[in-house]
Amino acid sequence: MTQQLLDLAGIGRRRLHLAWVSSAEAQRFVDIVCETVETLKVLGPLEHRRFAMALEACEMTVAGESIRWLVGKQVGIIAKGDVYGRTWDPERYLSVLNNELEKAYQENMICLAVKAGCTSVRAISRTIGVDLMRVSYLMADLERTGRIEFKGMEDRKPVFAAL
Amino acid sequence: MIILAGTTNSIAQPNVNGEIMADFEPKILAFLCNWCAYAGADLAGVSRLQYPSNIRTVRVMCSGRVDPVFIVRALKEGCDGVLVSG
Repeated sequence: MTQQLLDLAGIGRRRLHLAWVSSAEAQRFVDIVCETVETLKVLGPLEHRRFAMALEACEMTVAGESIRWLVGKQVGIIAKGDVYGRTWDPERYLSVLNNELEKAYQENMICLAVKAGCTSVRAISRTIGVDLMRVSYLMADLERTGRIEFKGMEDRKPVFAAL
Repeated sequence: MIILAGTTNSIAQPNVNGEIMADFEPKILAFLCNWCAYAGADLAGVSRLQYPSNIRTVRVMCSGRVDPVFIVRALKEGCDGVLVSG
């Protein structure tokens, strides 16, 4: 899930490595560390300034309720079904999780863009690189949940502010 | 859900600019499980196996303790990569 999110943010999943090593496998540990270092040498330094907003949005996303809930319930719901007695196959659950992940990430990016001073849908779309339709769809959601506010019209364009 | 990333032939590929940065030393944060990888790292030290000094380790009592928030925050605070090993 975190690797998926790093891909969404344009940082790339290859910056996060996961490996299982037993306590008796010193050589395997050394190999994994070498491999990780080599991969990152090839990737080069992470441009922290460029990704500052994306990383902030990532942090908000992984700390957010919906994602934590979906990840926490994943094993139970796939194994036993949900509270309505419906069964879930892993792929379907994963696609729900991935959709929610993308939505939460983009919503957080919108909030950060509005906080950073973008007031129109067009400016937000340009800043975060998401198309206009999607941005306005997500903004309707954000307005409803009280995270952003419609301030009024300016040059026949709606103006928004963060709450 | 978890995919083991970068385990195959990742070494010879050049970066975006098409060049391999030889002098770049990445800063990597490693979360190691006390019972598995941390003991493995300890054994590597005892048996005098050489490995790069780019990793800064954080010992956790179980790799299940590692929250995605820790990983994102590590990247935010200036690390170039994160390794979670259990």
